[in-house]
Amino acid sequence: MSTDTDRTNARLLARPLNWLETRSDAVFAYLLLGPAFLLLAVVAFFPLIQTFRFSLRADAILSADPFGEFIGFEHYVELLTGETLLPQQFLDPSFQTPILQQALFATLAFAILSVLLETAIGFGQALILDQDFRGRRWVRVAIIIPYAIPIVIQAMIFYLMFSTRVGFATEFMQSIGVFGSNPLSTTTDSFLIVLVADVWKTSAFMALLILAGLQSIDRQLYDVAKVTGASPWQRFKYITLPLISGPLLVAMLFRTMDAMRIYGLIDATAGCQTVPSMSCLVVTAFNETRRWASASAVAFLTAVVISVLVLLYLLGLRDSESGLT
Amino acid sequence: MSDSEHPDLAAQEQMDEEPELDRGVVEAWAARMISNPDRAYKSAFYVATIFFLVTTLFPFYWLLMVALTPSNDLNQVGVLTPGGFNPGVFVDVFLEYGVPFQRFLFNSFLIAVVSTVLVLFVASLAGYVFGRLQFRGKNVMLLAVLVVSFFPPAAFFVPLNRLFNTNFDVLRPLMADGSLYNTPYAIIIPVSALYLPLSIFILMTFYSQIPDGLEDAARVEGTTRIGALFRVIAPLSAPGVATAGVLTFITVYNEYFFSSLMTSGAAKDWGPMLEGILAFRGQYEVLFNVMGAASIIAVLPVAILVIVAQDKIVSGLTQGGLKE
Repeated sequence: MSTDTDRTNARLLARPLNWLETRSDAVFAYLLLGPAFLLLAVVAFFPLIQTFRFSLRADAILSADPFGEFIGFEHYVELLTGETLLPQQFLDPSFQTPILQQALFATLAFAILSVLLETAIGFGQALILDQDFRGRRWVRVAIIIPYAIPIVIQAMIFYLMFSTRVGFATEFMQSIGVFGSNPLSTTTDSFLIVLVADVWKTSAFMALLILAGLQSIDRQLYDVAKVTGASPWQRFKYITLPLISGPLLVAMLFRTMDAMRIYGLIDATAGCQTVPSMSCLVVTAFNETRRWASASAVAFLTAVVISVLVLLYLLGLRDSESGLT
Repeated sequence: MSDSEHPDLAAQEQMDEEPELDRGVVEAWAARMISNPDRAYKSAFYVATIFFLVTTLFPFYWLLMVALTPSNDLNQVGVLTPGGFNPGVFVDVFLEYGVPFQRFLFNSFLIAVVSTVLVLFVASLAGYVFGRLQFRGKNVMLLAVLVVSFFPPAAFFVPLNRLFNTNFDVLRPLMADGSLYNTPYAIIIPVSALYLPLSIFILMTFYSQIPDGLEDAARVEGTTRIGALFRVIAPLSAPGVATAGVLTFITVYNEYFFSSLMTSGAAKDWGPMLEGILAFRGQYEVLFNVMGAASIIAVLPVAILVIVAQDKIVSGLTQGGLKE
């Protein structure tokens, strides 16, 4: 009995597999890509289009359907002129809103500062990991461990450090005159805390990518330079730096994309009101004011800003590569 | 260092031995550094190494200090010392305070494991196609996959949230109200899609390196193309599959955006670990030491994974990252 059902099951499975065997390479390829593209379509492509379509509708806070009539690009105009009704502004050209309370600038400032700091620190870490010394494996584990830490725990560590009751960091920062009395509810102070927390976690990622670039450099170049009497600084400046610029730009591209979507770290430390990043603004607009259409407009603008940055990097990359050859 | 063995340099070093001068420690040290720059570079190297080790590891050490401090002595926590000694907190996390932390941990594990399996399967199929087959539109499709990893999850959030809150009659036998909100799938589906591209790129590289002859041999023996993928190519690329698996598990376990937004946050509604940790930040009292202990417990699985699989993580990140 059971062997019979097994056999019919096997035959049921064999039929599509045999059918698949007789298809051409191209059809076979498209079929195997089916699951991946189905997943991407449901989660990414289709929602992106939907986000754009929602963003052209009015906010209907009180009705059952949160999307009102078609209003065109009105939300975008409001967002870009600082007149949106959301709890925080996206961009206020009159600068009556403090600059770090504007989602666009808060996010850009965070992305630029964190990527620059992480590149510098990651470079230092990569230069260390590039050496041969005893215990290198353990030093490498120690340096990459922060990268594998859940965002909520990273946030927790820095939340505790800067909380006025248990933390020591607030007192220290106050004594050197940088922080006010309650940093986790002050925009500038919280921005710095979030920045430090992000640098602590993600420098390791830059370090790993830069290390891969360093190790692809031909060691003989250094030998030649040594023989001709170049100091370590000269070797770094004239060999390492030019050869690493390509991989470095790629690494910075990835980090920038990642930094632009900062949300969790802010949400679990200072809160989205204190440091409104673009992703933060999407969530507060959605959850707290029920302005779903405005939230969609912010979300789509976020995607646009990131696409522009990607294009800028790609142009830079093309230049750096054509400069080499 | 090979330079110091060089005869000329050795001679130079001897010449540089200065006549005895009455110098302070710092001055003497500076003089030595100037006369022998290699030594200066070497000590700079050690100083930098120690600096990075301290900055990366200190926050964990201090978290442990907070966790070990009893609740009443929390303002006694020092920079290097705890304000008391209360290791019992690591048990109390699970038993006291009314937060079912073990359930939150279980939810996170289940979500991470299911997503990893799903991603590995789907990325295997796609990686095989991109790595080993030639067909029209390949580059466009590869680009489409890459583009997804550029967009922020917030750009997909509003429609996805609406979709997952819609009741589907088809799902009624599986879910109580027929919607995906408050089920593990509401996190598994978006997170799997977001981390799919990385695994596709890793597996694509590994699968493309398997010689055609091995696949042909398997085909001659009578397996189907799919059979050859899962019986020959995937097992031979075991390091690549392990790399993709470890990275996917870690990133899903660490994910915040969808994990915090796609459930109500209650343990019975499949809220993941992060909700558990934040739950100790109550309305009237913040249990700092318990949060510390919970964080340490939740970090252990990934920390162990990093120590065991550091080579895989390093190779996977660099490959996935440097693919243009």
